[in-house]
Parts: sequence; structure tokens; C-alpha cells
Amino acid sequence: MRIRLYGRLGDAIGRETEVDAPDGSTVADIRQLLTASHPAVTEALARSRACAGDRLVRDDERPGSDVLEFLPPVSGG
Amino acid sequence: MSVVALLEADTLDPQFELAELTEVARGDGAIVTFVGLARPESREGNAVDAVVLDHHPTLTRQSLEQIAVACGERFDVSHVRVVHRCGTVPAGEPIVFAGAASIHRRAAFDAADYLMDRLKTEAVFWKREVGDAGSEWVEPTEADFADRDRWG
Repeated sequence: MRIRLYGRLGDAIGRETEVDAPDGSTVADIRQLLTASHPAVTEALARSRACAGDRLVRDDERPGSDVLEFLPPVSGG
Repeated sequence: MSVVALLEADTLDPQFELAELTEVARGDGAIVTFVGLARPESREGNAVDAVVLDHHPTLTRQSLEQIAVACGERFDVSHVRVVHRCGTVPAGEPIVFAGAASIHRRAAFDAADYLMDRLKTEAVFWKREVGDAGSEWVEPTEADFADRDRWG
């Protein structure tokens, strides 16, 4: 599955990466795979919201999309 | 009631934005605007050359629109205008323009205050300060969230 990352996550891992997620994986499963391969961003990843198809998705959901995005805490202004 | 919410990649001219708001607000009695500038110093006291605003291709613009529309629905205002930069903003340059027009001033003051409290904590941007000391990601403070929570 393709993973798209923003902010500090994109900085640390790269804007896009891939994880080898088995069929039926939930967002939590994918988050765990990503954390395992990039332990340096464990804390930032834990505080990030997941988004699939421009919709926020819960950790117990399946992404239902080829691309899953992780959004760290936002800050405008 | 009209709402404008724009994402600008290259430049933000507060005088132009005020002129646009003034043009549509001729039937009103008040305009209140806020202009946020890229700070030349970080919270830790390091010199900042520029603020870099990472954004999402769709969610960022949506978040600006949602905040501006919610403002228009909540306060007795005639016009709401939000313009936010993305990309690299040199220190001292405008990052955000938030303005509202109303018949009486109180609603416009409240609307501009509300806009900024929500933009600081909910607009979909990721902000990085860049300077001689390196690069630092910036997130909202507890005070920013407390300000936002004032509005319920």
C-alpha cells in the first residue's frame, strides 16, 4: 500500500513510501507496520490522524483506498 | 452573506485583500481584519529566516472554507474573507489575512477573533521555521487550544 506523509513525518520518512500490508489490514495494522520500519517517528505517527480518499479514517477501519495518508497535528495562522 | 477562502502559493497582499473586502462591504458599518506575519524569532529565541507551510492538496483548502463558512453562520456578519499562504514565507511577510464585515463592529471583531483561533489550531497546514539554527516543526500551544476552546 502507498503511504503519503505530511509535515514532520514527510520530513523524516519521505513524502511517499510503501508498506507491504496484507489484505484486510486496518489503519492500526498499517500504522504498526510503518512504526516498525521507522521507529524514530513512533511518537509523531501515534499523534497523527489517518486519511483515505480525503476522509479521516479510524484505526479500526480498513482504508478502502490504494493510498493511506498520515496527518500530524496541524497548525495554521 | 458572502464567504471567500483562498490558498495563495506565491504572495499575500493585505492591502489588496482589504480593498476587496471593502468593495463588497459598502452596505456595512464595520470591517475588522487581522494580518499574521511570519515571526523572525522562534519560541526558543532562535532567528527565523522563513516559515515553510506544507499543505494537503485538497484538505487544506477545505479546512479554510469550513472555518470561514462556520464563522459566517455563527456571527452576524455580511462578509468573511480568509486568505492563507502556503509554501515558503520569508520572516516579516504576511502568512494569513482574516477579515469580516458587519453592520455593527462587535460582530466583526468577534468573527475575526474566531477565525484566527480556529485557523491556528484546525487549518490543515504543517509549519516549519527555518533559520541558522536549523529547521523546527511548530505545533499549536496549549494557549492556542485554550483560545480555540473559548468558542465551544
